[in-house]
Amino acid sequence: MTNMNRRNFLKTTGGAAVAVGATLAAPHVALAAAGKVVIVGGGVAGATTARYLKLANAAIDITIIEPNATYHTCFMSNEVLGGDRTLAQIEQTYDGLVKMGVKVVKDSVTGIDAAKKTVITAGGMPFDYDHCVVAPGISFKAEEFADVGDHSVITHAWKAGPQTATLRAQLEAMADGGKMCIIAPNNPFRCPPGPYERASQIAHYFKHHKPKSKVVIIDRKDKFSKQGLFMQAWKDLYGYGTDNSIIEWRSASTMAGLEAISAKDMTVDTLAAGKEKFDVINFIPDQKAGEIAFAADLANDKGWCDVDKITFESKKHKGIHVLGDASVATSMPKSGYSANSQGKVCAAAIVAMLAGKPVGTPSYVNTCYSIAGENYGFSVAAVYRYNAEKDEIAGVKDAGGLTAVDASAEVRRREVEFAYSWYNNICKDTWG
Amino acid sequence: MRKSLTYALAAGALFGLMGTTAAHASDAEASMLANTCNGCHGPDGTSFGPASPTIAGMNKLYLAEALKSYRDGKRPSTIMGRIMKGYDDAEIEKIAGHFASKPFGRVATTGGDAAMIAQGEKLTKDLCEGCHEKDGYANQDYPVLAGQMMPYLSNNLADFESGMRSIDDNPNMSDKEKRKKKRALSDLKEKGGVEAVLQFYASRK
Repeated sequence: MTNMNRRNFLKTTGGAAVAVGATLAAPHVALAAAGKVVIVGGGVAGATTARYLKLANAAIDITIIEPNATYHTCFMSNEVLGGDRTLAQIEQTYDGLVKMGVKVVKDSVTGIDAAKKTVITAGGMPFDYDHCVVAPGISFKAEEFADVGDHSVITHAWKAGPQTATLRAQLEAMADGGKMCIIAPNNPFRCPPGPYERASQIAHYFKHHKPKSKVVIIDRKDKFSKQGLFMQAWKDLYGYGTDNSIIEWRSASTMAGLEAISAKDMTVDTLAAGKEKFDVINFIPDQKAGEIAFAADLANDKGWCDVDKITFESKKHKGIHVLGDASVATSMPKSGYSANSQGKVCAAAIVAMLAGKPVGTPSYVNTCYSIAGENYGFSVAAVYRYNAEKDEIAGVKDAGGLTAVDASAEVRRREVEFAYSWYNNICKDTWG
Repeated sequence: MRKSLTYALAAGALFGLMGTTAAHASDAEASMLANTCNGCHGPDGTSFGPASPTIAGMNKLYLAEALKSYRDGKRPSTIMGRIMKGYDDAEIEKIAGHFASKPFGRVATTGGDAAMIAQGEKLTKDLCEGCHEKDGYANQDYPVLAGQMMPYLSNNLADFESGMRSIDDNPNMSDKEKRKKKRALSDLKEKGGVEAVLQFYASRK
């Protein structure tokens, strides 16, 4: 009964006896004063949920279980690759959340018993919950490219941290005139514009430090996020379309099939180009929900988690909410801002459910900046509402959209300022 | 301004009633709508900079007017125009009311040159204080400037100067006020005091 959102609530109570219905709907509220929430994963979605739960009701007992002592944000990690930012500048701590009274436990979750409402960890200590929030981000699909190795030579750098440092060191060690490639994944994946911003940031580094070097994007798709804006930026900044272009983009059709990737030979084998040698290879694998989604039986057959769009409660197991990159949130992209926005919607839902009140109407937003080079930023935004007929998180018609391709230089400069503001503020809003 | 503000509030109350029936959207609570802004504007609307303005602690009328101007394309923006098209008047009123009720935090104040700041302070007494009272801390009639982000202030002055943002479009100002403000802005430019004034306001703690 605690899984009652506004629609169901109105259906069952007829909307009349709200106060009485609310009391009857939540028998356990009398037992536990405010409720216990266990959050699996201290990334954007998990941390935002924790923070907004505490802000709404400080008496709620909240535990985040996270294997890493600190969190490196994926957003702005491309600037670390480009050299304009250090790894320390994308590191977030849990101090702010701890100060608010959130318990942060350094451990790995190995399973969730949905019937007993218990989270099981590698450390062995079980955690009981009224609501469990699963925000594990992404994991990589097992693919046929056996020779990629353990990502120590061929990085993914799609979870920021040591991988980001490795790729940056490889770029720094590369001689001028070298050639690096980014293998961009199939949809859906974390941060749709990310591979192309990465190419831009690496080109930005090459332009200033290794001007004879090249970035080749070997794409497993035929089109990509913010494509028009990126291509315009590459023309404006990196000679795209000329013989001297720093960036080369090969679509899935033109490259005609990715056959093999070898860490030993540092080669990428495609049907169109054959075996090609690179000095640095960054392979971003195809993706699925984080591992715990599978161990806890939360994922669908495509590898992502279906959820109620208002409460983010799993469609497979009651009492467990899945959000952020791991969830299927219809038209919301797998982005940091989506995760932050979903965290607030989920927190509001859990607060209402714990109090035995109907869950209110949600509102969601995504904003996403890409920095293609010096004073050259652009963005995409969307405002979303829940569409009950289609059970979708749907963008509001005519709202949002992309920066104009012909935007002025001044607009592009300001978008970089706002991208940096976005970073500072979303981190504060997420981790405190 | 006080007179026109009162008038606008009265008009707002009337239109508010009509607005309710015309509202397309949601019965989402004010905090649900407003919290989506925090990712760019900071927790409870207090920005940690460097450019996105703090929107907490402004008066509600100004905030609502700014948000509607963005939506209707009357105030230039990079992203705000696109975002605000997602909200109707009733939702904007809720969002504006939410942030108006939060304190304006000064956590990322900038501007460092003491001589500049002193020069700026002098200039604001003549040119700005008439509207942006109490060294820019006042919020009753006009937006708070004290402790606002420097690039934000700079961009907006540039937009006034280029004509991208026009005082003439402001529905809540009398013609006399508009003339006064334009004169003050042009005096500020002539005296070469823009940077000094920006530094003064941005450095208020």
